[in-house]
Amino acid sequence: MIELQNVSYSYSDDKKSLNSVSFKINRGERVGLIGANGAGKSTLLKSLVGLITTEGSIKVDDITLSNKTLSEVRKKIGYVIQDSDNQMFMPTVIDDMVFGPINYGMSKPDALEKATKMLETLGISHLKDRYNHKISAGEKKMASIATILTMEPDVLMMDEPSAALDPHNRRVLINMLNKIPLTKIIASHDLDFILDTCDRVLLIRDGQIVADGKVDDILTDKILLEANSLELPFCLQGRN
Amino acid sequence: MNKAMEASRELKAMDELATLKSPIHSFCPLSKLLTTIFYIVVVMSFHKYDIVGLVVLILFPLIVYSISTISVSTCFKKLRLVLPLVILVGLFNPFFDKDVLFHIGTFAVTGGMVSMVTLMMKGVFSLMASFILIATTPIEEICSAMRKLFVPRILVVLILLTYRYIGIMLDEVAIMYDSYMLRAPRQNGIHVSAWGSFLGQLILRSMDKATSLYESMNLRGFKGEYDYRFTREKNRFSKLYAAIFCLLILVCRFYNIPSLIGSLFT
Ligand SMILES: Nc1ncnc2c1ncn2[C@@H]1O[C@H](COP(=O)(O)OP(=O)(O)OP(=O)(O)O)[C@@H](O)[C@H]1O
Ligand SMILES: [Mg+2]
Repeated sequence: MIELQNVSYSYSDDKKSLNSVSFKINRGERVGLIGANGAGKSTLLKSLVGLITTEGSIKVDDITLSNKTLSEVRKKIGYVIQDSDNQMFMPTVIDDMVFGPINYGMSKPDALEKATKMLETLGISHLKDRYNHKISAGEKKMASIATILTMEPDVLMMDEPSAALDPHNRRVLINMLNKIPLTKIIASHDLDFILDTCDRVLLIRDGQIVADGKVDDILTDKILLEANSLELPFCLQGRN
Repeated sequence: MNKAMEASRELKAMDELATLKSPIHSFCPLSKLLTTIFYIVVVMSFHKYDIVGLVVLILFPLIVYSISTISVSTCFKKLRLVLPLVILVGLFNPFFDKDVLFHIGTFAVTGGMVSMVTLMMKGVFSLMASFILIATTPIEEICSAMRKLFVPRILVVLILLTYRYIGIMLDEVAIMYDSYMLRAPRQNGIHVSAWGSFLGQLILRSMDKATSLYESMNLRGFKGEYDYRFTREKNRFSKLYAAIFCLLILVCRFYNIPSLIGSLFT
């Protein structure tokens, strides 16, 4: 479903932020993307929706990503970006939520209904008519996730989804993610979150994939994790 | 709260006004835009000495304000920076046009004085009308109405994004100013030596942010054409109301209502 071959990218000439990355993700797989700060996680996600133009080839459902196929690919992939301030650009939450679906041709009442349902599913109906500049960082995160899910993508990509959330909302999100059968790519340092929501993990360092395997194998490998500025998930650390 | 934050709040408050609920808010943006333009054109068309005819025209903004539940004082508060400019425009008329039109007691009223007042009134009326349009219509809807009037796409998108960009820039100023002040508590404003880097940072940061927002729009299917189908229900009779309004405005233009009313009683 998603296939990368030798994808490379550098923001400036001297350093490669992505260095010949290749992997394949099948439909329905739940993949965690982990790595230290600056390892290249966000860059990798951006490349998948064509926000940056990379070397190498990226295929989504056998469509090769190019300028021509950009909108087709973007329709398939919903991308919740790291900074939700940059995700929300309409005055109110509900305005933002219907923006995408309407742009892709859904009728207004359908879009509104879908958006309202999504807010209920996430338990944030109270945010519906709130102004985007008057809600808290965590509320904004939840709203931006709702915004993307309303577009009903085939693939859900999230960059640090749990970063601003309180334990309750974090749990709501985990439960919700485990209920929807989408292909998921989740970039995070919150390894407990990855443990709860993913089956497979890609570990990235200096723009290269250095490990790719089952979540139970990689997230229990203390030596590997520590070599990459990470730690065992808290639930596996045990207290002594 | 610092000044930039205040300014940004005020700008966003306009968005909030625009999402209130009232009959005026529910009119379709094109009808509103056209009526507003029509009103301004009619106001401008009055002769420079025709104070009496012009006065009646203030009724229209007043009616619209009261229906829209936005108070006139809100308008003057928000426009406090622009209003003096409008007033200033007419200020020199009395010096140029010194023909005496009539006397009040022994005081000779010159053409310049009268035309100064009409000019100011024209300015203020037009501002009031434009303000109520903006205050009851989200910028996206105004832009979509402009597209329907065949204003070039590039221009409309430019207006839309500029409007949003100003907000972003003000936010960035506010954030940077606060972080600066937190680490320079004893300073009164930003030190001259930091102006250069402050300004450079500001441009870079707001451009970054604007780019990100633009990317977010693109990711959700924005293709340069602002296809804004409204989230709020539009009144089906908008066009009818607009037509009636324009008709009334016309009547006031060509019949001197005050003197008509006056003649009823004499
Ligand atoms: N806009 C940019 N211009 C130049 N270099 C950049 C830019 N964005 C990121 N980089 C660099 O690219 C590398 C990868 O950054 P990226 O944002 O992908 O990291 P990340 O893994 O998402 O980190 P984090 O966990 O902090 O979000 C970093 O070395 C970073 O300094
Ligand atoms: Mg990142």
